[in-house]
Amino acid sequence: MKGIRAIIAIALVAIAVFGVSAQSAYPTKPIQVIVPAGPGGDTDLNCRIMGKYLEKELGQPIVVVNVNGAGGSLGTRKVKDAAPDGYTALFFHPSMFLNTILGLVDYDYTAFENAGIGVLDNTNIFVVSASSPYKNVTDVINACKAKPGAVKFATETGGLTHIQALAFESEAGIKMNIVDVGSASQKIVALLGKQVDMIGISYGIIKDYVASGKFRVVGVFADERNPAFPTVPTFKEQGVNLSFTKFFFYLFPKGTPQSVISKFDAALSKISTNKDLIADLGKFMVSPTYMDPATANKYMAEQYAMYSKYKDLITNAKVEKETVKQ
Amino acid sequence: MIVLGVFVGIIFGCIPGLTTTMAVALCIPITFGMAPTMGMSLLMGLYIGGTSGGLISAILINIPGTPSSVATTWDGHPMALRGEAGKALGAGVFFSFIGTLLSIIVLIFIAPPLADFALQFGPTEYFALALFSLTMIGTLAGKQLAKGIAVGLLGMVLAFIGIAPIDAFPRFTFGIPDLDGGFDILPALIGLFAVSEILAVAEMDTELKKENVLTNFKMKGFGFSVKEFFEQFWNMFRSALIGIGIGILPGIGGGTSNIVAYAVAKSQSKHPEKFGTGIIDGVVASETSNNATIGGAIVPLLTLGIPGDTVTAMILGGLMIHGLTPGPLLFINNADVVYGIFVSLMIANIVMLVMEFFGIRVFAKLLRVPKHILLPVIFALCVVGAYGLNNRVFDIWVVLFFGVLGYVLHKLEYPTSPIILGIILGPMAETGFRRGLQMNDGNFFAFFSRPITVVFIAATAFMIIFTAFRNAKNKRNQAASV
Repeated sequence: MKGIRAIIAIALVAIAVFGVSAQSAYPTKPIQVIVPAGPGGDTDLNCRIMGKYLEKELGQPIVVVNVNGAGGSLGTRKVKDAAPDGYTALFFHPSMFLNTILGLVDYDYTAFENAGIGVLDNTNIFVVSASSPYKNVTDVINACKAKPGAVKFATETGGLTHIQALAFESEAGIKMNIVDVGSASQKIVALLGKQVDMIGISYGIIKDYVASGKFRVVGVFADERNPAFPTVPTFKEQGVNLSFTKFFFYLFPKGTPQSVISKFDAALSKISTNKDLIADLGKFMVSPTYMDPATANKYMAEQYAMYSKYKDLITNAKVEKETVKQ
Repeated sequence: MIVLGVFVGIIFGCIPGLTTTMAVALCIPITFGMAPTMGMSLLMGLYIGGTSGGLISAILINIPGTPSSVATTWDGHPMALRGEAGKALGAGVFFSFIGTLLSIIVLIFIAPPLADFALQFGPTEYFALALFSLTMIGTLAGKQLAKGIAVGLLGMVLAFIGIAPIDAFPRFTFGIPDLDGGFDILPALIGLFAVSEILAVAEMDTELKKENVLTNFKMKGFGFSVKEFFEQFWNMFRSALIGIGIGILPGIGGGTSNIVAYAVAKSQSKHPEKFGTGIIDGVVASETSNNATIGGAIVPLLTLGIPGDTVTAMILGGLMIHGLTPGPLLFINNADVVYGIFVSLMIANIVMLVMEFFGIRVFAKLLRVPKHILLPVIFALCVVGAYGLNNRVFDIWVVLFFGVLGYVLHKLEYPTSPIILGIILGPMAETGFRRGLQMNDGNFFAFFSRPITVVFIAATAFMIIFTAFRNAKNKRNQAASV
């Protein structure tokens, strides 16, 4: 009996050891990271830069795969339906919340395994032309109070800047004329061509226009001023209690083994303090900020709740726009 | 580096399914480790090589290598069938060179004022431009006007599928998540022009062997005479202008410019009925304009930091990785990179000319490969290309769907080209219209109150009346001759 027990025990240990060693061998082949946006945008660039450092840590190539379209939902769905083997991951930002809130998809981030947050972008700003009469947030609010809809604000419907604009309206108790112009570069064209008065965008994209004196930043949605552009006041300083952070997270398909997530997460944690990575991301004014899966989950739940608050605003805004047109 | 770029570009360009955008996307990670100027020369080489490379397969096998060469097939391939493949290729290569050259000159000397002009284009202008371009359907369809319009509308209807512009609501998707993104233009093009051609050829298998023997290939120089060059002078100039103009406008590129330039050349020609039968005019219009788009697209990229087409969108990303933000300060802070780009464009253009000139003879040998071997290989590449574009298996089904659609249209003797105009221009018109209304508080007359819009709308009205008039005249003539 003792002998048999011993054999079983040895066998169990062997299986355990073997199992663990097989799992700790992850990754044994290249990892696909799906970017649900086109090449060249901020999500793509951040993902590629992170990938460059992650692959050194994980010892396998990180293959960035762009699956663009339908507000990113084609890409998120592809990852959701992928095999949960740790070789397909998603890299995305809070636009994913909006897809759920707007009813574009019937799942949210909890349909995935969270592998942590890697990058924070605290450069969400509102910008006007340098020749604009609006010097700061107060000017914008006063103009809209005097004449509702006086300020023409360009956004991409259903995008993060759309939520920011709606939240700003409701917080300040004003009404702007929110119009859709499309992507970030189309917003720049619209502002340069004086077709609109104000746009919502990331600082890194327009920093040269600020330096060359064409654009003026009226405020940044953050708790504190951004050290990269310390002269720009926050919205909070100007009496509008709003703060938005664009954060970039990694998700794996539901059912991906915990050991795989831990391994990936450990690599993410390790590279977040790498000086070269900080410098590379710094070119775009964003910073590697590590949050482990549990913290990230909690943070994302808070953020999701915050965005959900604006659900009525955004769906009403849609209805309103439609009736104006008819 | 430039030579390598041009070479890879030509290969990607001439293989249907693999496009310039893809070549640039694949090579951008390679440029991370290089000096900025060096990386940019590689990308510029790819851009120029890829855009002109498409003409090779367009002429030789009637399948455009990239969307930029769609119109090249219409006259290029009939020329090749007549045994004038050398002349068609020679003209295509030479006028690609001229087109690029003219656009680079424009880029170097008058980029900033041109960029200011592009800024005048708001949604109302885009709507008017799309409307005007849609009248090209009338020109392209020629005598089959009703069929042409029907097919053009079919294209617009297919383009409705997917997330609607502005309110981001999925339309006509029947609850199929894959349809949320709509049909991408590239899989549609590959299907319509490559797969349907393969199906059509497969049908006449018995004639295949004969056709190959026909190709007797001889050429001197570029295959066309000095006299022909001067005859094409105005056509070349006009097509280059169209290419540059379309290139400058963000969002549309070579895929649009070659068709528009072809249609304009046809409507302005003294002998529009000869278009499509294999005349050099068509090849010149298409190839000059698609390469002229390059210089045009780089204008807003460098001066405003705004990409003019999909390839420059990718190059923008490449520049940013090097910490260079294109825009108002690039010329001041990084003049070396800007001039590096200018120089590499020039060199790449010359390399392209030389490489394709000597390559023509090699490419023509492709025709000796029996079609029952060549076409399945191309078919496989089409599928790979469609998948590679957005990494979705769904796009392969799109290719097959459009392939069958193109084949059926071809069988029923409907023209296929208007469908492409419908797919490209329909959404542009819709988005422009809705954004235009939104921006002007729902005031419809805003579309008639801006100068550029008025010019385009007037031109649209003129084109419609002109086409109707010509058709009526043709009918009378026909009636008289009967």
